[in-house]
Amino acid sequence: MFKSLRAMPYTKKKELYGLLFVLPWIIGFILFFIRPLITSIVYSFQNMELTPQGLKGSFIGWDNYFYALYKDPIFIREAVNSFVNMLYGVPLILVYSLFIAILIKNKFPGRGFMRAVSFLPVIIASGVLMQILKEDVFSQGMRGGVESVYLFTGTGISGLLVELGLGAGLIEVFNNVIARIFDLTWRSGVQVLLFLAGLHTIPSYLYEASSLEGARPWEQFWKVTLPMLTPMMLLNVVYTIIDTFTDYGNSVIMMIYNTAFSQIRFGYSSALAWLYCLAIAMFLGLVYLLLKKRIVYMQD
Amino acid sequence: MNAIAGRRQMKFAKKFVVVTLRYMLLAAVAYQLLYPVLYMLSMALRKPEEAIDPSVIWVPKSFTLSNFADALRVMDFWDALQNSVLIGVGCGLFDVLSCAFVAYGFARFKFPLSGLMFSLVILTLVVPIQTIILPLYADMRYFDAFGLMKLTSVVGGPESISLIGSYWSFYLPSMFAMGLRAGLFIFIFRQFFKGMPNELEDAAYMDGCGPFKTFFQVMLPNAKNAIITVFLFSFVWHWNEYYMSNLLLGNMKKNFAIAISSLRVDLQSVVNAQTISDPLLVVTRIQAGALLAIVPLLLLYLLTQRYFTDSIEHVGIK
Repeated sequence: MFKSLRAMPYTKKKELYGLLFVLPWIIGFILFFIRPLITSIVYSFQNMELTPQGLKGSFIGWDNYFYALYKDPIFIREAVNSFVNMLYGVPLILVYSLFIAILIKNKFPGRGFMRAVSFLPVIIASGVLMQILKEDVFSQGMRGGVESVYLFTGTGISGLLVELGLGAGLIEVFNNVIARIFDLTWRSGVQVLLFLAGLHTIPSYLYEASSLEGARPWEQFWKVTLPMLTPMMLLNVVYTIIDTFTDYGNSVIMMIYNTAFSQIRFGYSSALAWLYCLAIAMFLGLVYLLLKKRIVYMQD
Repeated sequence: MNAIAGRRQMKFAKKFVVVTLRYMLLAAVAYQLLYPVLYMLSMALRKPEEAIDPSVIWVPKSFTLSNFADALRVMDFWDALQNSVLIGVGCGLFDVLSCAFVAYGFARFKFPLSGLMFSLVILTLVVPIQTIILPLYADMRYFDAFGLMKLTSVVGGPESISLIGSYWSFYLPSMFAMGLRAGLFIFIFRQFFKGMPNELEDAAYMDGCGPFKTFFQVMLPNAKNAIITVFLFSFVWHWNEYYMSNLLLGNMKKNFAIAISSLRVDLQSVVNAQTISDPLLVVTRIQAGALLAIVPLLLLYLLTQRYFTDSIEHVGIK
């Protein structure tokens, strides 16, 4: 056995080692993901009913999918909404979190405190705490329009823009951006931390060498920091897209959840979830193809 | 002479402006993010009667710690802390180990279907947990370890065991890199490993290390930032994960996520002696409870963030 392993050509051996490294994941994938997933696919082709004997399904073919695509009055609208949300959100979140990460990377008095503060969204915006806050804090402060929380409100600025004679389309884009800034700080905790970790892995000799060559900080940012951060950038783009789409507060996710557990339509809920996932997966694939060429990895 | 002094002054002024701007920006961000915490603190410290007193803006008129005492009692704080910490630390460690291991395979080796498999890793993130949670529950309830349990049933053992209410319902998926948002952790580690210079491993291979030894002795110690990041995320997300805790642990092992989500109801039944429930009596105590649940997380972050360092420099490759 070992002899044949030793006799193996190098490339074959590397393939084998790669598979061995990935093996735990393959086992976990089959054990904890594929089976539930297949069950959910089967559900999506069925009309599930809660009977006294338990959950019972009858095969109805593509009906669930046709209903979702052509008849359901809200699904498509909500899906498009969350798509538009994502298109605004992702670039804003990326720029904001990169900016914050650079601000809190180097030592200054109060850095530890600022890092702790920038970690707060990770703690608070995930899961059940957000619900409590939405019921109390945000209803009074953040959502209710108390001005002290909004450092600058949208109306004043859009008035200014109208005065400047910008087109209505542009102003709408701008208003959407403004309206999202506050939401944004709450959704970029993970991204800030990832960028921060990524910034720390850029070897300092790159900065030393470039400054010896006469590069200014501004040039260093574009020529050293940004290219070296592209792996993290890809990671953050993918994460942000997935996060905005599958966040518990997302209207489509809420709809899927309610369809299953309030209306007890497990079959239809599964079909909705599948359509939604398919759309996200296709979009992610597109984004990945677009970004793939622009990623710079250290090894080459 | 004058020109030099003037230039120095200019430089100083420029630096001053930059520093001031930076602090102003940070202050704005900090205010925005600290707002709910300050609100929690302000609410938790006041007496329930003052909860909606409009004359109290931030600082309560009279301070009281009774809210914390009540929240501690109603949440079963120490039990919940124990459960949450055990799940968080256990899953965090398992996640770091398994995801780093798998990610190294994706980052440095080419093998058949590796591209497809990595897309499937991302797919596990895309599928919302609500979609698969019911079948997953069934899997955990009648866990038979790949049919291996059938072997034990031959000698008289059970055919399946229930992992519901046991930490293992969280640990097991984490051990196989399939825990909560593990796809993201694999992705994080992969990007980090890809960012590391190849010379690191070449040197280890020269010394006659196999791939596994190279991974544990060279790659893992140098991925410190990634390890901290993943551990923090895993810990916090398990701490806050409510859907899965509720379903897989239920009331058998109450953790913070469950305690917080049922805090309102629990408080109403404990605090309100009368039959008519008074929401005001609950408001301050809920904030105290929420604050108690996030303080351990903040402490953890403060302890770990100082280990974020420029990691590659210790290796000395140029």
